[in-house]
Amino acid sequence: MSRLLSKDFLSGVMFIAFGLTALWFGRHLQMGTTVRMGPGYVPHMLAYIMLALGGVISVMALFTQGERTEAPQWRPITMVTIGIVLFAVLFEPMSFVPAFVPAGLIPSLIVLVLIASLGGDEFKITEVIFNMVVLSILCIIVFKVGLQMNISVLRGVW
Amino acid sequence: MDLLHNLTLGFGVALTFQNLFYALVGCMVGTLIGVLPGIGPVATIAMLLPITFHLPPTAALIMLAGIYYGAQYGGSTTSILVNLPGEASSVVTCLDGYQMARNGRAGAALSISALGSFFAGTVGTLIIVVFAEPLTRMAQKFGPADYCSLMALGLVAAVVLASGSVLKAIAMVFLGLLFGLVGTDVNTGAQRFTFDIPELSDGIDFAPIAMGLFGIAEIVVNLERRMSRSGAIKVTSLWPTREEARRAWPAVVRGTALGSLLGVLPGGGPTLGAFSAYTLEKKLSKTPEIFGKGAVEGVAAPEAANNAAAQTSFIPMLTLGIPSNAVMALMVGAMIIQGIQPGPEVMTKKPDLFWGMIASMWVGNLMLVIINLPMIGMWVKLLTVPYRFLAPAILLFCCIGAYSLQNSSFHVLQVAMFGVVGYMFVRLGCEGAPFLLGLVLGPQMEEYFRRAMLLSRGDPMVFLQRPISLGLLIATAILLVLMALPSIKKAREEAFQEEG
Repeated sequence: MSRLLSKDFLSGVMFIAFGLTALWFGRHLQMGTTVRMGPGYVPHMLAYIMLALGGVISVMALFTQGERTEAPQWRPITMVTIGIVLFAVLFEPMSFVPAFVPAGLIPSLIVLVLIASLGGDEFKITEVIFNMVVLSILCIIVFKVGLQMNISVLRGVW
Repeated sequence: MDLLHNLTLGFGVALTFQNLFYALVGCMVGTLIGVLPGIGPVATIAMLLPITFHLPPTAALIMLAGIYYGAQYGGSTTSILVNLPGEASSVVTCLDGYQMARNGRAGAALSISALGSFFAGTVGTLIIVVFAEPLTRMAQKFGPADYCSLMALGLVAAVVLASGSVLKAIAMVFLGLLFGLVGTDVNTGAQRFTFDIPELSDGIDFAPIAMGLFGIAEIVVNLERRMSRSGAIKVTSLWPTREEARRAWPAVVRGTALGSLLGVLPGGGPTLGAFSAYTLEKKLSKTPEIFGKGAVEGVAAPEAANNAAAQTSFIPMLTLGIPSNAVMALMVGAMIIQGIQPGPEVMTKKPDLFWGMIASMWVGNLMLVIINLPMIGMWVKLLTVPYRFLAPAILLFCCIGAYSLQNSSFHVLQVAMFGVVGYMFVRLGCEGAPFLLGLVLGPQMEEYFRRAMLLSRGDPMVFLQRPISLGLLIATAILLVLMALPSIKKAREEAFQEEG
């Protein structure tokens, strides 16, 4: 059982999964001939190589004592991912976000810093607020004033 | 004579106010991230890629190069003073550097490492100048089949020298090649793996992938571990004694030679150079027992080697367009963002960029010695900033950088997605570097492969009939066979054990 959880076995499975995904989504691509290759020739070739390598890696892992995959700690990866996604949604308001939600650099910065800080093991609200203020000033100076990027600091205001 | 002319041209470009400024910015940023553990040159360059889009090409490349070799300098400072390697390439420096510092020779260790690095950087730059032209001339004779084989050799060699399982690394290369296919097929205009998302029809942008795989995944892994920090040692006199200088010099020269050689190899680079130089010094020394207890040679040789390797790893990228490690893959990405196709044409078509960048490396090395030695106190203070302040800041710069690529939030979402993928790679022990090399070389390799097959009317034997291609493929095969030999496999595993 433990061998099914080894790093090597699981990465073999991952490679097979990528190969199968490529085959499925590339199924309509023309193969062409070896002289005049179609758009699907190289993708199919790579997908089969992925399947073969993934197979070899996972089978070999079943016969050797490999390193066990450490259980992931969910909090940091979840918080960081949520933070980035919310940043993307708030930075440039998308159609499904109600209009009264403030958008722009400052709101998305506050949300990202807050959520990312929750991902760490120590959280002090005063420190997080201090961090937000420093980063806001820094970002406005570097990106808005310095590099003259076309971003809004607070939508509708600046 | 030509050489002198090229160098004059190069220095003319490198010494303009604008380029000096960006070299300085690059060196400062490089030193900063070199000092800070938990963020390396790969993640930083990935984050800054979008910003370079707003700069002129020469300035952009000069700045990115500065970050790379600046990190080698910065990494050694923290290794010596707090026994904390800022970069993978300065892990060995901890062994003797920190011991020297505890013996009260911190200043001497720092100046030996800075001056040794400067010497190595100078030699490395000279080597690039001398070899760039002949290599480029050779590369211009290459046909599509030869290029395809050269890329295969580059990818295989990168895998062999990367740490961990060879088979998994090869699979990662192919996965990178597969991701490189996303977008519109150049020859037929067909949409491949675009899932009807218009943003994907130009291909997956290189920068969000690199940011996700290296930046985000690295931050998450660092958030999982708690970092403990020990107090820094005070620096007294910077000058080495006459005895220390006498022992350091030959070690610096040997380290430079070994580092320059290993830097050129695909998959080589600073880390490998530093480890090999340390091992060599220990073998050559008449007093191997003092290694690990503050041997001057144990600081001088690896520091020289990692800097020399950082310089010479530019050679395959600049002349052939083949990146030898993850940082060089990012440099190729930066050139593509600027609309420059890396390869032998860069030198002939853009001589000011080519020679300007090389000259700026020497200028940058000089700047680093000057900004490093007097400012050591300030850099060490930065270490006291806790990671919980840095992590959100790094994330924020990643997001803004990704957005500014094309002013679209879609790229920010891509960063989030590849962050998750990168985290999965880390957990499963799959190296990100081979993936990145595959991704960068993929589109070109397919192009050359299809062109070669078209020219040969579908006969795959073309790869064996052309002498250059055949030679390169034989070299590739030899590398693969060598890897399978039990004795070499064992030595390789031991080498990486020492590293980890």
